[in-house]
Amino acid sequence: MIPLMVAGGIFTVIVGFVVVVLFISWFSNPPFGLGNASAQPIAFPHTVHVEENNIQCEFCHRNVTKGDAATVPAVEQCLFCHKDISGRDGQAQTEIAKVQQYFADEEPIDWERVHRLPDHVRFIHEAHIRFFTSETGTGGASGQRFDINGSEVSGSLSITQTCSICHGDVGSMEEVQPKEGQSLKMGTCLDCHRVNNVPTDCTICHK
Amino acid sequence: MKLSRRHFLAWAGLSAVGAVACEGFGIREGELNIQSPVSLPEDLVRGKDNWYASLCRNCPSCEGILVRVMEGRAKKVQGNPLYPTNQGKSHARCEAGVQALYHPDRIPGAMRRGGNRGSGQFDQIGWDSEGMETLVRQLNDRGSRAVLLTKPTRGHLGLLTSRFAQAVGAEHMNYEAVDNNTFRTAVKNVYDQDVLPDFDMENANFILSFGADFLSTWISPTRWNRGYGEFRQGEGRSHRGTLYHVDSRFSMTAANADKWIPIRPGYEGHLALSVAQVIVDENLQARGVDVDAMLGGDTGRALLNDYRPENVVGQIGLTPEIAGGDPVAFIKKLAHDFAADVQTRGPSIAIAGGSAGAHSNGLFNVEAAAVLNWLVGSVGAEGGVRLNPSGPWQDVPSSSSSASLDDMGRLIDQIRSGETRMLMLHNVDPVHGLPGSLDLEDAIVSAQDLFVVSFSPFIDDTTVLADLLLPDRVYLEDWGDDIPDPAPGYQVAGFQQPVVNPLWDLDPRSFPDVLLAAADGAGVGEQLPWSSYQAMLKDSATALFEENRGSIDAGSADEFWTALLRRGGWWDESVTGPDVPRPRAGLLRRIMEGASTPTFAGFGGEGTLYLAPFSHNTVQDGELAHLPWLQATPDPVTSVAWQTWVELNDITAERRGIREGDIVRIESSQGSIRGVAYLNPATPPEVVGVPFGGGRRHGSPYATDRPASESSNVANILEPTRVAGPQSLAWAGTRVRISPTGESVNVSKLEGNVRSVEVGLSAAEEIIKTVAPGNY
Amino acid sequence: MVTNRIDHKWGMVVDLDRCTGCQACVVACQAENNLPINTKEYFQQRRAYEWIRIERYWEGEFPNVKARFIPIMCQHCENAPCEPVCPVFATYHNDEGLNVQVYNRCVGTRYCANNCPYQVRFFNWWEPKWPERLRNQLNPDVTVRSRGVMERCSFCVQRIRRGEITVERRGVEPLTGEAIPYAEPATPTQGRYLNYQRMKEGNFLPACAQACPTNALMFGEQTDPTGPVFKYFEKANEQYDKVHHGEYVDESKTRVYRLLEEMATKPNVIYLKKVEEGAGEAH
Repeated sequence: MIPLMVAGGIFTVIVGFVVVVLFISWFSNPPFGLGNASAQPIAFPHTVHVEENNIQCEFCHRNVTKGDAATVPAVEQCLFCHKDISGRDGQAQTEIAKVQQYFADEEPIDWERVHRLPDHVRFIHEAHIRFFTSETGTGGASGQRFDINGSEVSGSLSITQTCSICHGDVGSMEEVQPKEGQSLKMGTCLDCHRVNNVPTDCTICHK
Repeated sequence: MKLSRRHFLAWAGLSAVGAVACEGFGIREGELNIQSPVSLPEDLVRGKDNWYASLCRNCPSCEGILVRVMEGRAKKVQGNPLYPTNQGKSHARCEAGVQALYHPDRIPGAMRRGGNRGSGQFDQIGWDSEGMETLVRQLNDRGSRAVLLTKPTRGHLGLLTSRFAQAVGAEHMNYEAVDNNTFRTAVKNVYDQDVLPDFDMENANFILSFGADFLSTWISPTRWNRGYGEFRQGEGRSHRGTLYHVDSRFSMTAANADKWIPIRPGYEGHLALSVAQVIVDENLQARGVDVDAMLGGDTGRALLNDYRPENVVGQIGLTPEIAGGDPVAFIKKLAHDFAADVQTRGPSIAIAGGSAGAHSNGLFNVEAAAVLNWLVGSVGAEGGVRLNPSGPWQDVPSSSSSASLDDMGRLIDQIRSGETRMLMLHNVDPVHGLPGSLDLEDAIVSAQDLFVVSFSPFIDDTTVLADLLLPDRVYLEDWGDDIPDPAPGYQVAGFQQPVVNPLWDLDPRSFPDVLLAAADGAGVGEQLPWSSYQAMLKDSATALFEENRGSIDAGSADEFWTALLRRGGWWDESVTGPDVPRPRAGLLRRIMEGASTPTFAGFGGEGTLYLAPFSHNTVQDGELAHLPWLQATPDPVTSVAWQTWVELNDITAERRGIREGDIVRIESSQGSIRGVAYLNPATPPEVVGVPFGGGRRHGSPYATDRPASESSNVANILEPTRVAGPQSLAWAGTRVRISPTGESVNVSKLEGNVRSVEVGLSAAEEIIKTVAPGNY
Repeated sequence: MVTNRIDHKWGMVVDLDRCTGCQACVVACQAENNLPINTKEYFQQRRAYEWIRIERYWEGEFPNVKARFIPIMCQHCENAPCEPVCPVFATYHNDEGLNVQVYNRCVGTRYCANNCPYQVRFFNWWEPKWPERLRNQLNPDVTVRSRGVMERCSFCVQRIRRGEITVERRGVEPLTGEAIPYAEPATPTQGRYLNYQRMKEGNFLPACAQACPTNALMFGEQTDPTGPVFKYFEKANEQYDKVHHGEYVDESKTRVYRLLEEMATKPNVIYLKKVEEGAGEAH
C-alpha cells in the first residue's frame, strides 16, 4: 500500500496541476485559452464588406493566391475605398475614421491574430487554393476531391468557396472568432490529406 | 496554517508544476499581433521571398551576392551565380553580412564625444542640427590640414573619396592592416601591370605557391577555391593538378598541398631562383622564351649560377627530412615537374605573396617567384597568369594600394606635431592594426588640437577615439559598385544596391552621400557634381549603356540600369587583359641584383623563435571580429574559435613544459602578449604561429569580452621592419621568446567536440580514405 | 489526384579531394537553419552546434605531416541507428532518402544521439538566444528549436520543399518564372521535375552545397542521370551489392566509399576518397 503521505502528495500535485492549467486557460485567450479573442483595434465587419458589397477574399488578402501567407492588407489598400467611403452610421464612421487616422499617422494597424499557426508548421495557402480551384487538381491526372469533412467536391471551386472549407463562412461573420466552424488540428489536416491522396510526410507541413 | 513537511512537499511540487506550466503555455507578448504595413512597398510581400543581387563588402575581394529578403528583412546571403569572379560561390565571411546588418552594437545615429577622448562615452545628436553642421564647420576650419583614411577603395567610392579630399584640401590615404603592396609592386615590376592578374587554376597542371594562403585569406580566396576544385577534380581534365606550397607556417593552403615545403622564413626567393637556375641550366624553359634576354647576358647567368641547388639548400634550411631525401635532387625534380611537363601535361603557375612578401626582402621573394611564370611561358597563357584589363571607366580607379608603413609613420608624426589637425576615418582601425610601437593611440589622445570624425558603423579601437560619429550604412543598405581586382581575365563592373532599409531604431547615413553633402556645405560642391551617390552610379551606368557592348542588351538607359541591378553587374568578355609578349630585358638579372636575405630586428640567437602571424580565416585582421558567426567559425587547421591561439610544435613545446591550453607569453623587443597554446605536429620547431585579429579593446562584446590572456593582438609586438621597396610592414619579420605563464585555460575548439566512438576501426585512414592517383 | 507526385531519392556526394576545409559550408548552414550562435562556452563544454562540421585529422610528424579535412553531416542512413531507439518516433526516414527529425514529437531522451555513430545529432541544452536585433535574420522557413529538443542536418528540406512547390506543383521555372509543360515522370528531366539545374538556379540546393566554393559538396537526385551525383551512387550501390554477395571489391581501385561502411548503415551520403601520391603503399 502506498503510504498515505505519498498518496496525498501525489493527489495534491495532480489537482494542483489541473487547477493551474485551468487558471491560466481561463484568463488567457485563444487559441490556447478559454477566454474570448481580444478585440480588434478596429471593429471590422466582414458582413458589410463581403455579403453586402461582394468583395472577394483575395481582393484584400492579396497574397492568398500567390504564396504562403494570406496576408492582411496594407492600410493604404483600405484607403482605396475608404478615401471616399466614410460610413453610413455613427459607429461605422468612427471606425472608418480610425483607419484614416492610421494612414495619416503612417502607423500600421496592430490586428489581433485570430487563426494562429504554430511556429513549426508550414502552411501554403496558395497550394490549397490551387488544388481546389483548378480544373483537375494540381497534376495532369483527374480524380476526385474531398473537402475537410470528407465529402466529395464536385467540379472546381471558387476561391471564396475554397477559403470557407477551413475558415467557415467568414463573409457572414460580424466578428471572426477562432474555432468557429472548423477545428484546425493536425488530425484535421491529415484526414484531408489522406482522403485526397496527397503527401502526408511530416516534412510536407513540419519545418 | 501550519506548514507540515507533507504540505511543504506538495506546495513545492505544485509551484514547480505551475512554473513549468506558465512557461510552457505562455505566448510572447506581441506574438499574436499581425501588423500590416501602411503602404504597399514593392519589396514587402508577406510570406514571399525576393532575391536581390548585390555585392559583399566584408572583405576586399568583394564577391557578387544574392540576398534573400522576406518582409523587409534580409535573411540569407548567397553567391550570385552570374557574377564572374565567384560564380555563385561564397566564403564563410560573406554569410555574416546579415549579422553586420542586424548587429546589436551598431552605432544608432550621429553622436558626439561625451567624456574624455577614448572613454567610449558618446551622446546622441541630431544629424542635421549638429552632426553635419559640425562636420562642415570643422572642414572649413581644418580641411586643408585633414587626412581622410579609408580602406583601399576602388570603383566610384575611390573616385569620390579622392575628389572629396582634393576639394576640401585634405589628404586621402588608404589603409589596411595586412596589405598586398608587395605583391602589387611585384606585379608592376615583373609583369608591367597596374591591376592584379588572375590565376587560371582551372586549366593549370602544377601550382607552386610561395607563402600565399590563397585558399583562405589571400586576395580573392573564393575565386581561387573555385579554381582549386576544378584543378583537382574538374570534369574533363585528363589528370589531377599538383600543388606544392612553400611556407614557414602550416597554413590552410599548406594543408591542402601535395607537398608542403617549410623552409627557413624569408628564403622563398632563394628557392625560387634555385628552381629557375635548374630550368635555365637544363634548358627546361618553355619554347620561345628568350632566357638570355631575361638574364641580360653572362653577368646574369653567373649570378643565377650562384643559386645552384647545392649552393642554397643549406642556407634556406631545406633539410633531407623536409625534402624526403636528397635536397638537391628534390629541387631538381621540382624544377622538372614545374617546367618540363608544360608541353605534355599542361601549364604551371608560380604564386607568391602573403608571408613570403612580408619580410625585409619580401619584394625580392615575390619577384623571384613571379619570374618563374615567364620561364615556363605562363604569363598571359591559358592555365597560367591571366592578365587583366582595367575597369570600364577612364577616371574610376580599378585598383588601389594601401599606405606604406612609412606613410603611416609620417601621419603619426604629423598628428603629434599638430600639422594634421583633422582625421576622418571610414571602416579602418589603424590603432588595432599598426604595430604597437607606432602608438597611434597615444598620438591621437595626446594631440593638442585634433578633431577626429569616424564614419564607421561600429565602434572599434580607433573609432572610440573620435569626437564625432557619423555612422555609415552597412553595405546591405547602401549603393555601391566594384571593379574586381583581380578581375577574372576580362572587364567586370559589379553593382551593389540596398536590399533593405535600416531598421526603425537606427539612423545611419550613407558615407558617400554625407561626403557630397559636406562638400556642398563647405562650399566646394561644384567639384563634386553629383546630386547623390546613386545618381553618380547611374550616370556611369548610362555611360556604359552608351558604349553598347558587354553582357547587357538593353533598349534604354533605364532598362539597362534595371538589368544591371538585377544581375549584380556588367561584364564584357571581349575586353581581356593586355598582350605582353615578353618580359623586360634583363628582368631576371635585375631581380637577382636586388637579392637579399631577411633581417630580423630585435631579438635573435638562441632560444628565439620566428613569429609567423597570419590573417585569420574568418575575422581576418580583426575588422570582422564583431561578427559572432565569424568568431565562432573554427579555424580550419587548429579548429580553435573565439580565442587567440598560439601554434607550437608539439614535441618542442612539451620539451619546454608547455601543454595545450597553457597561457604562454610571447615576447619581442617591442613588448609582449599572451595567448593560448595550441600544440600540433605541423608547426615547424623554430616557428610560432599567432593569428591577427584578436585583442580588440573597444566595441562589440563579441570582439572584446575575452580576457587579455585569451584574446590578444599580435600586431602589438611586431617589429616595425619595412619591406624594402614598397615600405610596407614586414609582418613576418619578428623573432620572439616564449615562456609559460603558469596559467591554463580550456581551449575553445571544435576538435574533441565529437567523442570518438569505438567502432572497431576508427583510425583516421578509415574515415578519410585515400587512393593513389591513376588508381581510379 | 496528386498521383503525379514524383518520387525523389536525394543524395549527397562529398569529394574529399576538392574539400579545402574553408568552413564556408559551416557558416552557410548556420545562417540557413537558425542554429544558435556557438559561444566560447559551447566550444569549451564540447557542445558546439554544427550540423555540418569539418573534421581535421593529423597524419605524421613534422616535417612530413599532413592535415586532412572531412565535412561530416547527418548521413541520412537507410538503416539509421538513431531511428529504432527513439521511443516517440520523432526520427524516421522517408522514401526520399531524407532522415527526418520531427521537433514537436521529440521529448529529448537523447537515445538517438548516443546511438549515432557519426555523432551528428545535437541536443538543445539551452534555450537558444539571440540579441533582439539579430532575430531579424532568422529564417522563417525553419523552426527555432527550443530547449530539450534534438536537432540535426535535414538536407535543408525546407529548400527542397520550396523547390518542389515551385517546380512540380506550380510548374514554373524558378529563374524565369515561365511555365514548364507537363510530362509524365517517365521522362522526368523533361517535365516538371526538380532536377539539379532547376535546384541550382532556384536556390533550392542545400545551403552548404550552394556555398561550397570548390564544389566539394554535390547534391541531387540519385536516380537522375543528368544530375551530378548519379554516377557515384550507381557505383556505390554496385559496390555495396557486390560486397553483400560475397564478391571481391578492390578497395584501392575505387574512390567511392561510405563512412563507417562496416556498420551497414547505408548512408545517402557518399564520400570520394582523397587522392594522394603513394596512398595505399604504406598500409
